[in-house]
Amino acid sequence: MTQIDSTCLIDDDPIFVFAVKRILKSSHLSENFSVYNNGKEAIIGLKQIIDSGKTIPNLILLDLNMPIMDGWQFLDEFIKLKISQKTTIYIVSSSIDPADFNKAKTYEQVSDFIVKPITRESLLEIMQIKA
Amino acid sequence: MKELYKQLFQKHNLTTNENEMGTYMDSLQESMAIGSWEVNLLTNTATWSTMTKTIHEVEPDYKPNILEGINFFLEGYNRDLVTKLFNRAVNHQEKYDTDFQLKTAKNNLKWVRIVGYPVIKDGVTVKIIGALQDITDKNNLIKSLELKEKLISTTFEHAPNGMALINLKGEIISLNKSFCGFLGYTKEELIGFKVNTLSHPEDINIIPNNIEALINGTLDKFKCEKRYFRKDGSIIYCILSVSVLRDEINNPIHFISQIIDITERKFAYKKVESLLQTTKNQNEKLLNFAHIVSHNLRSHSGNLEMLLDLMAAEIPEQTKNDFFPLIKEAVIKLSETIQNLNEVSNINSSKKEKIKNINLLQFVNNALGSFRAEILETKASINIDINDKTEVSIIPAYLDSILLNFISNAIKYRRENIKPVINISAKKTKNYIKINIKDNGLGIDLDLHKDKIFGLYKTFHRHEKARGLGLYITKSQIEAMGGKVKVVSQVNKGTKFTIYLKHDTN
Repeated sequence: MTQIDSTCLIDDDPIFVFAVKRILKSSHLSENFSVYNNGKEAIIGLKQIIDSGKTIPNLILLDLNMPIMDGWQFLDEFIKLKISQKTTIYIVSSSIDPADFNKAKTYEQVSDFIVKPITRESLLEIMQIKA
Repeated sequence: MKELYKQLFQKHNLTTNENEMGTYMDSLQESMAIGSWEVNLLTNTATWSTMTKTIHEVEPDYKPNILEGINFFLEGYNRDLVTKLFNRAVNHQEKYDTDFQLKTAKNNLKWVRIVGYPVIKDGVTVKIIGALQDITDKNNLIKSLELKEKLISTTFEHAPNGMALINLKGEIISLNKSFCGFLGYTKEELIGFKVNTLSHPEDINIIPNNIEALINGTLDKFKCEKRYFRKDGSIIYCILSVSVLRDEINNPIHFISQIIDITERKFAYKKVESLLQTTKNQNEKLLNFAHIVSHNLRSHSGNLEMLLDLMAAEIPEQTKNDFFPLIKEAVIKLSETIQNLNEVSNINSSKKEKIKNINLLQFVNNALGSFRAEILETKASINIDINDKTEVSIIPAYLDSILLNFISNAIKYRRENIKPVINISAKKTKNYIKINIKDNGLGIDLDLHKDKIFGLYKTFHRHEKARGLGLYITKSQIEAMGGKVKVVSQVNKGTKFTIYLKHDTN
């Protein structure tokens, strides 16, 4: 199983962040995490990474409902960064609104839409597809 | 007239050149449709002129007598009156001139004017001479005009609409009871009154703005909604319609105004409107609430599920106790409930799902595919009677869930030791495709549960798999597609659900 260098969590829910970290660490799939509590923090953080010439995380798990800048706004800003490095974005949200599913499909940067709660199995599955 | 009669009657006194004179008189009588007659009281004989015979429609050689002559008059009032007048002419020497109805020899009814004139000799009445004029046509015309006039005036006076004749200055010439009643004034108060001055200030210009077009004929009728002040100061809402009456050279003579009182309707409408608004608001709030509750709760229940999952994987030794499985079960049930709430709120809120025309038989067969295992296990027999051409207009995901729900219920609530039989049939009615799903299972006590059967979280069976949500969701889905659902059931006989769906939209 290939390890993912770095995973980025963009979610304002500490419980979700906690659980994902634990699962990924215990399964030794990803050791490095960056966590942002909303879209704005994530954009700032990613910009800094790019500016300093480092590699951005190759997997991003993105929540939709967040304060300050939500998942959709993040995506729009992220596209504007015109990043050449390859990264995979999964939306992970508790929304089950079909409108959200359809909207996600309009972003080619988004690989899939995962409905919370995320389980150990579903998370590992994503990592394998990615890996 | 008198001169004419004298001339006519003179005939009877002539002795010379009688024939020649008779012919002249006959032709004169004929052109005027007046006949003459004579009753000789001394000889008790009657003589009729040719025209008199023509009016009676008897043969020219008819020999009249007094009794037969009287019997031509309609029995009853006419015959009695003519007898009475004739006797008075004989006994009191009074002449008469009256209209009567008679029935001719050919059974035709005619109106005639009869003049009777006593001829007196030495103080004794010797003859009654008279004239007879056919006035049927004239009389019918007058009668029918009278009737029309009466019809119009009765209609006008008692019409449920307020009606008024208004002169070109806007003053009322005449009006009916309803018009007075609507406005709360008496006729006397309103005649000569400028009715537009009673208008609500906001409506006072409606008539003046349109009257020109009415007068010059670009509008032949004008209709509007308008408010007037009643005498007691209250407002009456009316539909007012104004038309113009013109003379033979097309000049306007006056206006005909009609008003219908719609005050009650107006208030009822306002009430309905405000009720509708309230309902809309409440519905919106409710949907919002359901949406918020289900979404916000979802993330929490999801977290709980995830944490328990993680706990079991990472610290399994901590989960080997009485509490953990119970907590886990409670969390799963919580998530399920929230999931169901979500489905319900989605059905009610979104009409985003696309309606499609599908072939019903194919659809039902596909749905049955997922029950293969249960059908084998329970030895259920399923009979389908659906025309292979029948199309319905539905949201596929909904119909799928509806069929799954009804079929799984029919299997789930079978009677012990009785082979389940499920009949699925469809019929086309004028407005719907009617789908019947009939089972021979446990049945539902409708007397007990009628109002609750499609309610949220109602179960009717003590069954381990019974969940109350199914029928509620099913009903919501059917209604979201513009359909409806009905149920008949008997305990220990079975249940029949009837689903009404829209025809294909073409």
